[in-house]
Amino acid sequence: MDWDQFDLNPRTVAALKKADIKSVKEILNLSGADLQRLMKLSSADVQCLLKTVSRALRRSSVVTALQLYQDKDHLTSQSQKLSLGCSVLDNLLKGGVPLVGITELAGESSAGKTQISLQLCLCVQYPYKYGGLESGAVYICTEDAFPSKRLQQLIGQQHKLRADVPAEIIQKIKFGNSIFVEHAADLDTFQRCITRLSLLLARGMVRLVVIDSIAALFRCEFGLSESVTKARYLQTFGAQLHSLSTRFRTPIMCINQVWHRNCCLFYLINGWRMVVHTLSVVVGNRVAPALGITWANQLLMRLMASRVSLPGQASGVASHCTGSVRTLRVVFAPHLPPSSCYYTVQLEGVRGIK
Amino acid sequence: MQREVGSLPLAPSLRARLAAAGFQTAQELLETGPCGLSKEIGISKEEALEALQVVRQECHGGAARTAGGSGTARKFTALELLEEEQAQGFIITFCSALDNVLGGGVQLTKITEVCGAPGVGKTQLCMQLAVDVQIPECFGGVAGEAVFIDTEGSFMVDRVVDIAAACVQHCQLIAEAQQEEDHLKALETFSLESILSHIYYFRCLDYTELLAQVYLLPEFLSEHSKVRLVVIDGIAFPFRHDFEDLSLRTRLLNGLAQQLIIVANDHKAAVVLTNQMTTRIGQSQSTLVPALGESWGHAATVRLIFHWDNSQRLATLYKSPSQREATIPYHITPHGFRDVQPPAVTQNAGGTEVNPRKRPRREEEKQ
Repeated sequence: MDWDQFDLNPRTVAALKKADIKSVKEILNLSGADLQRLMKLSSADVQCLLKTVSRALRRSSVVTALQLYQDKDHLTSQSQKLSLGCSVLDNLLKGGVPLVGITELAGESSAGKTQISLQLCLCVQYPYKYGGLESGAVYICTEDAFPSKRLQQLIGQQHKLRADVPAEIIQKIKFGNSIFVEHAADLDTFQRCITRLSLLLARGMVRLVVIDSIAALFRCEFGLSESVTKARYLQTFGAQLHSLSTRFRTPIMCINQVWHRNCCLFYLINGWRMVVHTLSVVVGNRVAPALGITWANQLLMRLMASRVSLPGQASGVASHCTGSVRTLRVVFAPHLPPSSCYYTVQLEGVRGIK
Repeated sequence: MQREVGSLPLAPSLRARLAAAGFQTAQELLETGPCGLSKEIGISKEEALEALQVVRQECHGGAARTAGGSGTARKFTALELLEEEQAQGFIITFCSALDNVLGGGVQLTKITEVCGAPGVGKTQLCMQLAVDVQIPECFGGVAGEAVFIDTEGSFMVDRVVDIAAACVQHCQLIAEAQQEEDHLKALETFSLESILSHIYYFRCLDYTELLAQVYLLPEFLSEHSKVRLVVIDGIAFPFRHDFEDLSLRTRLLNGLAQQLIIVANDHKAAVVLTNQMTTRIGQSQSTLVPALGESWGHAATVRLIFHWDNSQRLATLYKSPSQREATIPYHITPHGFRDVQPPAVTQNAGGTEVNPRKRPRREEEKQ
């Protein structure tokens, strides 16, 4: 570290070099008294040093909330979001998925989570004008194989789903080329995936990361007694993903399973999923997203997808729908009230129902 | 001039040499002069000159310095402190039940910590306070500005706009009902744009940036002397990963707490921190406790824990030097942080809905 570039007293610079302090982080990790002892400087000098390195680290000028509000530049504005490709779903989320932060989509099996994620991978490739980010997506599969056949179906039907976009624009986008699929069945492979991610993000080739699913990575490897290790992994991955999301203004969508609150056996054994699904029907819909509060602390927003059998479903609503009706619910988000909307999974993709 | 050598802001090694050579007061140092000093304790003449300059500055500039440096201690009687505390303003939260439990609202010059599970409303309260600190004095506020330090990226300005618009509307309704000169005058400058322009937003990506930002706070608050609220949302996030050495984390958190206490006192600002919850695994059961460990529990003066009871949000006052422990329900509405039922409008002589939340002055009672 070249200390001469800072606006420091030569005596302080000499003391820094003598004490072999190599980075600003090392200085800030020590208290004022420790620095005095280590570098044999007076307290006034040490205070001056701390203020100077802090100023250098926090170079950016202060921003007021008014400036944030009035910022309409699509590269920096908070109001820029990733559309889900359907106006009803976008209205639920007040524009779409926020660009900075980890969004979780939790739900029972076959609630439509993978469908929504695939749709997002296509939406991200549209121009900014149509709610996209003009870039590709990374899809990390942790349990099942990537549903490439379904993706081809969706690509073929994009003109039907996105009637708001002119046909020439849809034809120009090579959807399949910009979706990078990774498989990571265990934590080490996942760690390597994340390292590769930062390269793709730095090159601007992707602006969306989907992890399907995060729960599968942790289900088999940790018993109930290893919760401390598991928590540490969750926090490390959460922090890495959060940091990537902030640096590259890229939304990270994590799919999560749910587990029945009274049945923790589900946590350990994969094959019990079918049994739990039956149990939850019997006991009532008391499901909670997996991975607990450690993972929930890393999230910006949590959405829950579920299949709901409504009494009035047969009439009107479902008559023109091929699939059953599902619910997308906002569990928590700093900018959204707890609300929900209905949707169905069609051939062309996920469509909200007004 | 009779300052002890040990209390002067010199390098510790220099102080040790002076003590070994028998110097006890600043007066003796100044009388010896630079040449004599350099000979006596074996330092170079430049160093001796510098040391004497520091000593001279200390002795003559002592009166102008505030406490927090070395030496000068302010003396107060308990009565003076009581009067000062009673004149202290509170930042209201718009949830009268919570304000009552806190004794009037979030208190200035104290650190308040809000803990809770994700989604329970910690960031909502912080955004509400960043707006409420700006309420003009005639409406019962402290007419201050706010600093918002965001470590998680959960500050959504659209939500702040909703909260601020509702607050302005609330004050407009009061002004219409009251029709007083100063209310209408205050409303001229209390608008959505002015509220947003007085929330200073800092984004910190890791704990080093957070530490640096807190070192720079005193300077910032001196330049922006109207700031009455510093929010750090959240304090736990940058400190809960990346730390193999937990004792380093404890040291850093202690240092951070000390600096925040100094900032709160020197600039008469309220400091509000949000913390996460973590699971403590006992022998037979596990409980949710605030994160960052036991020693961090001593940092905040007032601790609030937000939690759920089925679908009702509850706030518990867990730690306070002057108020009783209590639990109250609250709501998050599109307008912000609110009571569960609308509060009963108390008809004081000339009182409004907002004024009863101010603590009554002792002088009024005496009369």
